Amino acid sequence: MQRRDFFKKLGLVAAASALTPAISFASETKVVSKNTMSYQTAVDAITGGKTVTVSSKIKLKVPEIAENGAVVPVTVNIDSPMTENNYVKAIHILASHNFNARSIDVYLTPANGKAMFSTRIKLGGTQDVTALVELSNGDFISASQNVKVTIGGCG
Amino acid sequence: MDISRRDFMHIAAVFGIGAAATGCVSPKTPAQISINDIYNFKATGNFTLLHMCDIHAHIKPLYWREPSTLISAPNLVGTPGFLCGDAFAKHYGLEPSSLDAYFDTHVDFEELAKKFGKMGGIAHIKTYLERVRTERGNENVLFLDSGDTWQGTGVALKTRGEAIVKAQNYLGVDVMVGHWEFTYGKERVKELIEMLDAKFVTQNVIGNDPFADEYEELIFEPYTIEEKGGAKIGIIGQSFPFTSTANPKEFTEGWSFGLRLDTLQEYVNELRDEHKVDCVVVLSHDGFSVDQEVARQVHGIDFILSGHTHDPSPQPITIDGTVIVIAGSHGKFIGRLDIDAKDGKVIDYEYKLVPIASNIIPADPAGVKLVNELYAPFDKEFGEVLGQTKNILYKRDTFFSTFDQLINDAIMDEMKCDMSFTPGYRWGTTVLAGDNILMDNVYEMCGITYPNVYTFDLKGKQIATLLEDIADNVFNANPLYQQGGDMSRLGGVTYSIAVANKAGERISKLMIGGKLIDLDKTYVVSSWGGNLQNAGSNLQENKIRAVYDVTRDYIKREKIVDVSNEGNVTLVDYDCGCPVKGSRSC
Repeated sequence: MQRRDFFKKLGLVAAASALTPAISFASETKVVSKNTMSYQTAVDAITGGKTVTVSSKIKLKVPEIAENGAVVPVTVNIDSPMTENNYVKAIHILASHNFNARSIDVYLTPANGKAMFSTRIKLGGTQDVTALVELSNGDFISASQNVKVTIGGCG
Repeated sequence: MDISRRDFMHIAAVFGIGAAATGCVSPKTPAQISINDIYNFKATGNFTLLHMCDIHAHIKPLYWREPSTLISAPNLVGTPGFLCGDAFAKHYGLEPSSLDAYFDTHVDFEELAKKFGKMGGIAHIKTYLERVRTERGNENVLFLDSGDTWQGTGVALKTRGEAIVKAQNYLGVDVMVGHWEFTYGKERVKELIEMLDAKFVTQNVIGNDPFADEYEELIFEPYTIEEKGGAKIGIIGQSFPFTSTANPKEFTEGWSFGLRLDTLQEYVNELRDEHKVDCVVVLSHDGFSVDQEVARQVHGIDFILSGHTHDPSPQPITIDGTVIVIAGSHGKFIGRLDIDAKDGKVIDYEYKLVPIASNIIPADPAGVKLVNELYAPFDKEFGEVLGQTKNILYKRDTFFSTFDQLINDAIMDEMKCDMSFTPGYRWGTTVLAGDNILMDNVYEMCGITYPNVYTFDLKGKQIATLLEDIADNVFNANPLYQQGGDMSRLGGVTYSIAVANKAGERISKLMIGGKLIDLDKTYVVSSWGGNLQNAGSNLQENKIRAVYDVTRDYIKREKIVDVSNEGNVTLVDYDCGCPVKGSRSC
């Protein structure tokens, strides 16, 4: 049953990439130096300065304590009907204190059917992971969670 | 809001109505305490769950002193899981100098140890279990083990867990989960599960090696359904969520841990909706404070039988309808939980944390025989008298304990390092003042499968960052970010700490060798039981040696050890080690 779930998820991600070949590891605007981007610069570049509202419609799944900072699993799920009039246009995943805070941009259309994306990102240390989501009406919503990247120590 | 019978029972427990359930024994001497004071219980309902956790392979009786310092973030101070000493006694209404006060707190420990003697041991545990099985009928009793069972003594280490599996089979464990179990390595874990009569269930360990058959699959059965007393009981396993970060990754390569509360919720729903169970139990190694958070986030669990943080909790706590119990450590206690459940719900329950007072509960002869057989091949080595201690040697406390200091002294003496790290585990042993220190005691303190002491270089800045990182694992205000251990113990170092400060800003006046730390300087550091060596450079390979050998040789050289309980840490924002709720003092 676990395996089925996994393939279901895999299927969705594959569908997302097949329908929208617009997944880009973005670093297009306001780059301070090569491959460096602060969290605020990244947010401004994505939103163009528009207000971002924290929303419980986004289900951001990341571990509280990372098992391995080099491959931290992130799943973003947005409660959206994904119709022509009301859909999720883009999912951006940001890591607040990475050298380059902007981890990935995923662009969707109503044809995706479901606003969901799952990947693994690298975290340089303990920090917040944010899902910044653009809706079809131009609004931006977000959800964040702190992820601890620790050398460990106790038992 | 409707108050159900269950709610009423909880309220009653809070106000001390139905005192029989609280299990307080008056301050009598062993001669005056009848065994019935310990056995006394208001039998309830149609089945009984017996519970143990964190016995850490202590199949023989031992002394175990509870902490005299148990500091947490201010929001958690004085809540169950962060209670010790007088604050604990007050919270649970223990009478001073009673058997319960001796088992549950450090207060007057040495004096009471003379009065009441040792604790635990499988032969004594067995006598109690059989008594309950006879009283309730064997077919109405389940014995559940929250893990940290296979590791913690020499006999466990030398037999790679097998001696303890034999002990569990003798006791009649029905279901278990794990944590330190995994430090024998994946293959050995599977072998031991084959030898084990109990079921090993765990919903939060998933394959994460994309080239393995078990990728994204459950490694263990997530739950089991048992029928007792006409009730269907669903038991979901939750092993230690942070095994892969708290212990070396190589033991569990390819297995991913984590809390996995979303799948936990799915299994709760599956048990209720598809299997129509009468009672949902989570057998857990999350830790007492984490499980309180689990109860807030996951709905529909009737009981969490917790473990990992070694808290004795004489009364259950109830959060959003979920009752949480935890049964101390080192075999000192068995939790007895009588449940009345039918038609898909729990109607009533009674709980008692039963102290296994080895001088009062007689030993089962078959258990004594089994222990002797298991120890026989190692008697000569374990029984060697290494020296004597002037003061009590104990483990626990948030920052410092005497047996850890002795280990740090041994490492500093042999490795000629600037500072040493000893891990803040919560398992170990207690040796009373004036007693001999046996090799067995040294294994009880550091018998692990990765015992090497490594000596290497760390920059001052790395040391400072590392300590802040460890402090945040221990003192984070959110239990989900804690790993459930204590601060690493440091040799050659003193520091001040403000626990309530922000992460990264807690530690000040960090001195190494009596001088303020120089962030740019390179220090020679020795450490064991963690993975600090991976962060360091210039590893001195010729010095690598097992910590139990280093400690043994030092005690033999010293003959009489004299470790004071003064400590090396100044706590800035609390007045005492056992603060009461809503306060920074006692």
